[in-house]
Amino acid sequence: MRYFEDVAVGETLVLGAHTVSEEEILAFGRRYDPQPMHADPEAARHGFYGGLIASGWHTCAVMMRLTAQTIARLEEASAGAPGIESCRWRAPVRPGDTLTGTSEVLAAWPSRSKPVGLVRRRSELVNQRGEPVVTLVGVAMVRRRDAGAV
Amino acid sequence: MIWFEDVEVGQRARFGRYEVTREEIVEFAGQWDPQPFHLDEAAARESFFGGLIASGWHTGAMFIRMVVDHAVAGTAVVGAAGFDDLRWRRPVRPGDVLSVETEVLDKTPSRSRADLGSVRVAGRVLDARGEVVMSLVSIVLYRRRPGAPLGAAAGDP
Repeated sequence: MRYFEDVAVGETLVLGAHTVSEEEILAFGRRYDPQPMHADPEAARHGFYGGLIASGWHTCAVMMRLTAQTIARLEEASAGAPGIESCRWRAPVRPGDTLTGTSEVLAAWPSRSKPVGLVRRRSELVNQRGEPVVTLVGVAMVRRRDAGAV
Repeated sequence: MIWFEDVEVGQRARFGRYEVTREEIVEFAGQWDPQPFHLDEAAARESFFGGLIASGWHTGAMFIRMVVDHAVAGTAVVGAAGFDDLRWRRPVRPGDVLSVETEVLDKTPSRSRADLGSVRVAGRVLDARGEVVMSLVSIVLYRRRPGAPLGAAAGDP
């Protein structure tokens, strides 16, 4: 198990890859963000983006999925997250795009009220051309070794 | 049509009703946030949270669904640049009923796109007791009214 004490400021985790299909864009869009550019391929073609694009919240969900897979692989003692300081959707994600990512530790400090440490990370997904599609800075909680297996 | 020029700083709205089910929490988490406290009741009870809770990104997804259902139609919104200060303030659990409150904070014509302007909107997701479970500041992109004089929108700083 990897605890807060094992997290080093400056370390960069390499996240895996996720290819976003048209089917997945439509499924997420129709369920949670049913605007034409996410949910209606024909309307999207004539719209502002010139075609179907993923909901920004879908792109964030891809980031979370890749992060959760990395946490599981490292056996990090994740205890959730209090929030995201900033998130920018920097380029549209289109059907067939393959997203890969990195997550760099910017700062780490112990919580004063809970048996966890707080870790500020800057995470970014890029598409197959290396263009950033989302950049976010968030704070996550990681359990402390001395707190035992809570 | 509500264009960038028509957005009023200080305008508030309250809308939406979203019932959170155990099935949907587990389904969303299984696809997007497969951590034990979002997936498995027994593991969640042993965790920090004392029971199954929704992924924070699931709460974000439910937020945007309520926004799209109630606040986007009839506006010249073309999307969003992102958000700031998103906080997951309280756990969202099965059976919670969520709604949304918004307030327009300010608006700025785009420097790079003469046809767009950005509007910062404070959003809060409330549970049935009125407790805030999530808050954020969205950066929403609006089209400018065709033919409006550049840099002279009502309410510009």
